Amino acid sequence: MWTRPWKFKEGFIIGAGLMLTGLALQCIVGKISWSMMASPVNAIVLATFVAMVVLMHLLRKRVYAFQYLSTYHAAIASLSWAVVLTIVMGLTRQAPSSASIGGLMGVLGIEQMLSAWHFVLVYTWLTLVLGLTILRVLSQCLSGAKPGKELLRRTPFLLNHLGLFIAITAATLGNADMQRLQLQAELGQPEWRATPSEHPDSVVELPLAIQLHEFTLDEYPPKLMMITNTSGKVLPVGNPQSIVIEDSVASGELLGWQVRVTRSIEEAAETTVVDSLATGADSVKVDFVPFHSMGYVFAAWVEADSANVHREGWVSCGNFMFPFSALKLGDYASIFMAEREPKRYASDVTVYVKDGDESGHVAARAVIEVNKPLEVEGWKIYQLSFNERLGKWSEYSVFELVRDPWLPGVYVGIFMMLAGALFMFLGFSSKRNDKQERRTES
Amino acid sequence: MTWSHFIAFAIAALLLWGVGAWAAWKKKSALVYGATIAGIVVFMAFIVGLWTSLERPPLRTMGETRLWYSFFLPVVGIITYSRWKYRWLPGFSFVLALVFIAINIFKPEIHNKTMMPALQSPWFAPHVIIYMFAYAVMGAAALVAAYQLWRAHKGKAVDSFNVLDDLVGLGLAFITTGMLFGALWAKEAWGHYWAWDPKETWAAITWMAYLVYVHTRRVSPSSVKAPLVMLIVSFALLQMCWWGINY
Repeated sequence: MWTRPWKFKEGFIIGAGLMLTGLALQCIVGKISWSMMASPVNAIVLATFVAMVVLMHLLRKRVYAFQYLSTYHAAIASLSWAVVLTIVMGLTRQAPSSASIGGLMGVLGIEQMLSAWHFVLVYTWLTLVLGLTILRVLSQCLSGAKPGKELLRRTPFLLNHLGLFIAITAATLGNADMQRLQLQAELGQPEWRATPSEHPDSVVELPLAIQLHEFTLDEYPPKLMMITNTSGKVLPVGNPQSIVIEDSVASGELLGWQVRVTRSIEEAAETTVVDSLATGADSVKVDFVPFHSMGYVFAAWVEADSANVHREGWVSCGNFMFPFSALKLGDYASIFMAEREPKRYASDVTVYVKDGDESGHVAARAVIEVNKPLEVEGWKIYQLSFNERLGKWSEYSVFELVRDPWLPGVYVGIFMMLAGALFMFLGFSSKRNDKQERRTES
Repeated sequence: MTWSHFIAFAIAALLLWGVGAWAAWKKKSALVYGATIAGIVVFMAFIVGLWTSLERPPLRTMGETRLWYSFFLPVVGIITYSRWKYRWLPGFSFVLALVFIAINIFKPEIHNKTMMPALQSPWFAPHVIIYMFAYAVMGAAALVAAYQLWRAHKGKAVDSFNVLDDLVGLGLAFITTGMLFGALWAKEAWGHYWAWDPKETWAAITWMAYLVYVHTRRVSPSSVKAPLVMLIVSFALLQMCWWGINY
């Protein structure tokens, strides 16, 4: 071992050394606190790291270890260590970075892998190998007889490797500068205050405000299901079945019962009717009547038949105003209506931006919905939630505001890798290139 | 078009793919392409019809993803066949497609029509379809690797590294694209491109595992068992990614 040229063994031992170093650091200084990386520290770290990679590249002829780090063997060893640590992370439930974990688990860091020294050291090593390899290939291209042609030939390699290098460094170092805030806007009132997602107890004042004009919630058509009367389990257990009520009618079979919906009221209110001819509990009957203002529910008239038994009655999922109504089929089961699933929710808003003199001006008027964020002055505004109890009558809408100044860097890396993948798909990395590469590697 | 029409389309497509596989074995090239592509068109017609009637891409339930899997296997098969002319390949993809179709016929699952708002994104369909294609390719690579490993164990020569390298190259291009599309979509839907949730963590693991294979093949082309084992392990890791670890 350690006889030149170094191969896999040396690489795996370097990884083991980094693991031990990381564990020692976990013991001595504790886990990494990423918030320390906030600007300008991250910019300094990036400049230092790049300078270090360049310096190591220039010294590669004198220091064999630096030369080794740009080889396939080093790449495979660092990738393998990264795979192993990431598998451990994937198999362990991760705790939030703010949680403090003591004892052995704290030292091992497997529950907070992203803040664990060994994890970060191994990925830094991987990035270092990546950087040195890129520089080796670049300098080989430029020192050849036809630099332009060589660069063109190595374009797929450069896109893949440089793209990953840029994406990884920008994403990791930029993380501390990323701001994520939650803002709850009440109907009609401009809101300037937000709470950081990671510190829900504190409040910050923003350079922008959101005014909610209207909140919309579209729902999927209601579904009928069967539940047990005692435990409320949906039947059949483990494989629940349902009948969708579309255009106010439906028919189908649920566990041997022929179920039909003959009429529905889309916007209904629940009332009780007293039957003067009946006595006791039977004297009060539930009925639904059309009702078009706040709090209406969907009500379906359900008829169910099984063998000689016929049942019929109103079924409704209920909401914050009305209790739910189910159709009891017997001692065992009932037909009920599942709560309707949201199809789309959106907020019609105006965004104001503060000027120098503290009076805001309108920066945007838009509808924000899930998957359709709004971008204003470097902030991306996402539809997050609403008052779920009130549903479509929610009097507020919750937004997430994200600012990520390093995002352009990450995107440059991502799009380079996508272009690299396209080359890979087209089969540009031919075998001939690789043989040539192997010869010139050391 | 609903799932009740599936069996007719599936049988028609399987018959055509079966003819294609037989023709490949008998080296009747024109018939291979004609029959296989006709089968793909028939199967595609069902997917398009289902997509239209569901009013959303059929990419949500396990049954729906199996549908894509059985669609992509012959697609991958015919592309690979056209490039490298392995006569066993259409037959191989035919058998795999048959398995997934049979599961969908004999063990159908509830086919829900609803789709939560976060999934309603233009990124969703390409992200999943690209990954399904990658899974099909990597699945083929893993099976070839297992077969070759068995041959090596019996002391026979391993002769399939060319096809394995080509399959993994193709699959890796798709895994990379699928993963990055996922990141771009995540930024639009959840505000961050990479949050190390279990799905993303396993996607990264899988991606790096295949990178280990690709780099190993380049630096030590003469080693046999290690790269074959890597392909099988990598595909096992891919399963974690697919089935997902949900706490």
